[in-house]
Amino acid sequence: MAGAAPHEGSAKGKKKALDAELNLVPFIDLLSCCISFLLISAVWTQIAGLQVASSGGPQDQKQEQQTIDVKLELGQSGYALTMAGARIEIPKVNGKDGPGYDQKTLVEKLKTLKASLPDQSSITVQPEDTVAYEDLVATVDTCVGQQLRDVTVAPLN
Amino acid sequence: MAIVTPGKRPGVRIQSSRVFAKKFSRGKRSTYAGLMLTSLVDMFTIIVIFLLQNYSATGEILFMSKDIRLPDAVHGAELERAPVIAVSPDAITFEGKQIALTVDMKADALAIPELDDSLRDERRKWDESHTRDAQHPFKGLVHVQADKKIPFRIIKRVMISCNNAGYGNINFAAMAKGVSTKPTTAENTPH
Repeated sequence: MAGAAPHEGSAKGKKKALDAELNLVPFIDLLSCCISFLLISAVWTQIAGLQVASSGGPQDQKQEQQTIDVKLELGQSGYALTMAGARIEIPKVNGKDGPGYDQKTLVEKLKTLKASLPDQSSITVQPEDTVAYEDLVATVDTCVGQQLRDVTVAPLN
Repeated sequence: MAIVTPGKRPGVRIQSSRVFAKKFSRGKRSTYAGLMLTSLVDMFTIIVIFLLQNYSATGEILFMSKDIRLPDAVHGAELERAPVIAVSPDAITFEGKQIALTVDMKADALAIPELDDSLRDERRKWDESHTRDAQHPFKGLVHVQADKKIPFRIIKRVMISCNNAGYGNINFAAMAKGVSTKPTTAENTPH
């Protein structure tokens, strides 16, 4: 019959089986070693960095573009966005953990700013002394999210 | 007479017969259990692929401390190797070495002198080791890892110390919610 497997143990002597058995043991050993190494050297906590410049830091030569001086103050009452002589107050809103900074309104204002000045990439964040690191990071994160990547942090007073 | 196992016994002729001897042969089960290795190898392969995908070649730059609870950030970038200043509610440390106590930071002074000295030492070491390395100029990058409730009054003093020592690019550490792949380098840093 066509395609049939050859007989084993025919009258003229035994034929070797065509199916070769792969020895999986070294492969399993290798995989076990890989898993052990990767588990030991794995970094489970993902920490990111928000890069800012401090007010006295080295100045870059990128200020030739059409930009304005934008300042974002973080105070006890909320945000105060100052640009081109105008000052926009964004008061704190009540959240789950009490009054907090209104990130949503800030995003809208920054979007408007970015729409009118697409080249604008710098902003100066000026927190008060009592502002928590958490709020500062959240504000810088919001600014970076709105493509204002050149964030300078300077004390308010 | 020889002692034999009770039961049916073939005769001498039948025992030597190819056809009839099989009836009397008692099939013993093999003591070796065949283990199915295919699924095990599949599982190992999936684990290795998963771990390789999550593998970070840079390793752990910032070490998590129990005292420091980092805030979350969505638009944070990947970190690169730089000196680390950790500010916990108890102490301020530079590269794991305690510099000052946080409770002592209530005074309205500008910089932290001990941190100034440590950063200047670090800068000097860097300058010495990169004297003839023009391809890698000093970026002035430093990581600040602070607890989420630390007030800016203390962060400000740390930043002033960094500035005094020439470290103008400060990286605020945060827990990544969705890290972008672009690493933080001096080229994409703010001025």
